[in-house]
Amino acid sequence: MDAREAARTLEVIRTLMERTTQYQLLTARAGLAAGSMAGAGALAFLALDPDNPWHFGGVWGAVFAGSLLATCLGTVLRSRRRGEPVWSRQARAVVLALAPSLFAAFVLSIFFFARGQHLWLPGVWMLCYGQGALATSAYAPAPIRRLGIVVLGLGGLTLWLGPAWSVVMMGLVFGLGHIALGAALLAAERRENAIRLHRSVA
Amino acid sequence: MNALKRLVEELDPLLHERGRLAIVSVLAAVEGLTFTELRDTLGMTDGNLSVHLQKLEEKGYVATTKQFVGRRPQTTCRLTRAGRQAFSRYLDHLEAIVQRGRGQARA
Repeated sequence: MDAREAARTLEVIRTLMERTTQYQLLTARAGLAAGSMAGAGALAFLALDPDNPWHFGGVWGAVFAGSLLATCLGTVLRSRRRGEPVWSRQARAVVLALAPSLFAAFVLSIFFFARGQHLWLPGVWMLCYGQGALATSAYAPAPIRRLGIVVLGLGGLTLWLGPAWSVVMMGLVFGLGHIALGAALLAAERRENAIRLHRSVA
Repeated sequence: MNALKRLVEELDPLLHERGRLAIVSVLAAVEGLTFTELRDTLGMTDGNLSVHLQKLEEKGYVATTKQFVGRRPQTTCRLTRAGRQAFSRYLDHLEAIVQRGRGQARA
């Protein structure tokens, strides 16, 4: 064994250990899809009325459903490509970590819609999203942790700016933010593919 | 060159096999994994994984516990203290080989 082979073996070991503990729910393509949908959702309000709870709820409900579908699809495809189980130990842990934030977002959405104050929801959703991303930080790669911190901060800013900025902030944070994250994850995936560890070891 | 050769010869032969090294690397990152989780993570066959685990168990690097979850038997594998120490030593050796190689390249 020469120094080059030793370095490669160390890299393989590190990646194997990370693979065992890390889990990334959002794939690069799902991030890009979610960002595009959120951006399109924000642009839809050029024609729709955000004060109308049906318009507001309909658009963002559709964006959430589409993003969830893209995430599920992306996860299934990635698992198949890697030959790993979809409902793995890490996947279960991540979903469990996310559950309280999703529940809080759901309850608060009903609360604000019922009081006709739905334009405050974007800030609330961002806080829940950021909290959820950070809740998975024990398993998540660095970009997801950074995303959690940034979105928490932007959630506070959105609440401070008030309802007039709700649609713009949704477009910026969930639209542009997800597109930027998707691009970062895509670059990371390409680097990982270049390493091609896993199969060469097992 | 002799120092590098000596370092390579000191590598734990049991861990210096890619299948077993992969098992130990994965187990080092967690408290324990079931046989199925380990098999799926590494993409090994049942037979291949069993053989490697047996060798690691004989050397005292891995401990397995068998229990029933409902009606299904479940085997959990974990790295023992000796296994963690051996893995740590193995990593130190690899690091030393890399450093030695870099030193030679500069010289």
